[in-house]
Amino acid sequence: MSQTENGRSAGSTAHETPEGPSTPSQEPGLMARADLLSGIVFLVLGVTIAWMSWEMPRLEVRRIHPATVPGLVPGLLGLALAFCGTLLALRSVRASADRAGWRAFGQVFVSPEAGRAGVALVLALIYALGLVGRMPFWAATGLFVFAFIMVFERWLAVPRHPMWRTALVAALQAAIVGAAVSLVFERAFLVRLP
Amino acid sequence: MFEGLVLLGDGLAHFMTPTSLFNVAWATLLGIIIGVLPGLTATMGVALLVTLTYPMPPDQAILCLMCIYVGAIYGGSRTAILLAIPGTPASAATTLDGYPLALAGKGGLAMGLATTSSAIGTMVGIICLAMLAPLLAEAALNFGSYEFFWLALFGVVVSGQLTAFDDPIKGYVAGILGLLVAMVGMEGLHAYRRFTFGVPALGGGIDLIPAMVGAFGLAEILVVMKKRAAARIIDASDRVLPRLSEVWKYRRTTMRSGIIGTLVGIIPGVGEDIGAWGSYAAARRRSPEREMFGKGSMEGLIAAETGNSAAIPGAMIPTLTLALPGSAAAAVLIAAMFIHGIRPGPMLMIENAPFLYQIIAMLVFASLAITCYGLLLTRPLLYMMRVPRERLMPVVYVLCVIGAFAITQRLFDVYVMVVFGVVGFILREMRYPMAPLVMGIILGTLLDVNLRRGLAISNGDLTPFFTRPVSAVICTLVFLTILFSIPVVKRRVTRFFKKTDNTATGGH
Repeated sequence: MSQTENGRSAGSTAHETPEGPSTPSQEPGLMARADLLSGIVFLVLGVTIAWMSWEMPRLEVRRIHPATVPGLVPGLLGLALAFCGTLLALRSVRASADRAGWRAFGQVFVSPEAGRAGVALVLALIYALGLVGRMPFWAATGLFVFAFIMVFERWLAVPRHPMWRTALVAALQAAIVGAAVSLVFERAFLVRLP
Repeated sequence: MFEGLVLLGDGLAHFMTPTSLFNVAWATLLGIIIGVLPGLTATMGVALLVTLTYPMPPDQAILCLMCIYVGAIYGGSRTAILLAIPGTPASAATTLDGYPLALAGKGGLAMGLATTSSAIGTMVGIICLAMLAPLLAEAALNFGSYEFFWLALFGVVVSGQLTAFDDPIKGYVAGILGLLVAMVGMEGLHAYRRFTFGVPALGGGIDLIPAMVGAFGLAEILVVMKKRAAARIIDASDRVLPRLSEVWKYRRTTMRSGIIGTLVGIIPGVGEDIGAWGSYAAARRRSPEREMFGKGSMEGLIAAETGNSAAIPGAMIPTLTLALPGSAAAAVLIAAMFIHGIRPGPMLMIENAPFLYQIIAMLVFASLAITCYGLLLTRPLLYMMRVPRERLMPVVYVLCVIGAFAITQRLFDVYVMVVFGVVGFILREMRYPMAPLVMGIILGTLLDVNLRRGLAISNGDLTPFFTRPVSAVICTLVFLTILFSIPVVKRRVTRFFKKTDNTATGGH
């Protein structure tokens, strides 16, 4: 009985992040820096929201009860967010003190993983923002699927798959998916497509 | 009491039509496939397929979604056992004992046990649902603005605490962000538009389904594509029928895990994965064979699978009676119900009492379906694992785009989906849980409107929020939950429990 698989994600004990495969365990230093930055972002965001809520009209002309102003809950939430952001940032200040760690942090954004995610995102954005709505749905879908498979199997795959076979398979799958999705959704399920 | 049984019979009979049974068949199968394929999760599956079922009549639509939900939670166990890869997070606990069993040549037995445990777990949850939901709905009729405010806050807070157990601040931040998202658009009391920044499309607020599809669909795709491609050799395994003696031997564990799973499901925003872990931990603590846990203990496997399946009916209890989602997928179901004109909440039992029993009937049929599929279909399902993710993910993304667009026919919702996908991905990478975010989006309006309405009724006075009996109880729960997230408090409490545990089980 032989079973081998590599690339199994470290830590299938994903009970901290539900509904998603476990994120790779990062060194505490990296996470502390991320927390520091995000803490500051949340602080700024929270204060901004609280301020915007304060500036919201109190609707006195409608003679509503002063405790029911529209800005009440967003304001409170903004303050809560700012508070949590401050806690996060303060907690991470000490752990992110050394300067060398910042370089490692920057490395995360140019790592192969970030590259793969970035490429996937760019393709997804081109499809959703550029293609869909501007051409028939099956065409947009076909183009996207073809490009996606080509990029990931030919360009970014290690080892690279052979060019013609990949292109053929990609084109085939693109055509099938484009046609099938359009047909299934429009005819069988009566859902209007963009 | 007998009226309940009559209604249950009606519910079961309602779905005994060829159309319904056909829907059960394909929806459960699709759910199992979604569960088997890593990168596709139950919540994502339900969110994507809300669109597919949109043109169907309400009862059929919810039937399909429930079957997909049950199927997906069950399907994750297949790959968890054979490949140590949980197909969905709910099956993460199953890998601990399922995979060693498979390695020891007992993969078929493990899968059979998983199947029967899932079916039994769902049944235990169904019984609790049938008994508790009418009672809770009855009690909830007396709930006023004060109680609903605290309930909404409790839902967000407890979800934040329990899904980000090591780092509750991140859970709370996710919850606050979700609540803030719900603040966009026209507010519920005075029809004043908040945070629209001059964009007319934001006037209606941000819809839940595009946001969910983005946060659970696109974000998930990005997470999957980020990893290096994994080559896998799939092993064919032995027969899958468990022996009844095994099932009977662990009946106490099964019952316990079923109850724990149901209770965890009832807690808002906390769902099947915690149900599995909670049942597993409890089984290990009480088991006479606890050294076997983690090395191929059948009891551990049973506990995990029963727990995660029982959480599904458990999650439906607050969902139906209070409109408070018991889990992330239940949140999507709430949105789907609203789309189809069903209003969950205390009024459900009055306006549409048969619906509760129809949900129960749906769960019964879904359990039967997973039992049949589980015992028959193991090997073909594993071939699905061979699909490389580069070919699968673009299709999933296309479904995400359709899913975001189809209900409101606006490209704006596709943009919402994209934004939530990107933000969700970034948050996920920084270890923020998604469940409180979803809870916040769903509960935001409830929290906002009820706080201000309560203040208006009491003329600005805060005392009713703390002195009304039910409010006081829920308020205390909220404070205890927040208190427990402070590290010092948590350490003391867990140390205290460990000590009592050691003295109780000393001598093993």
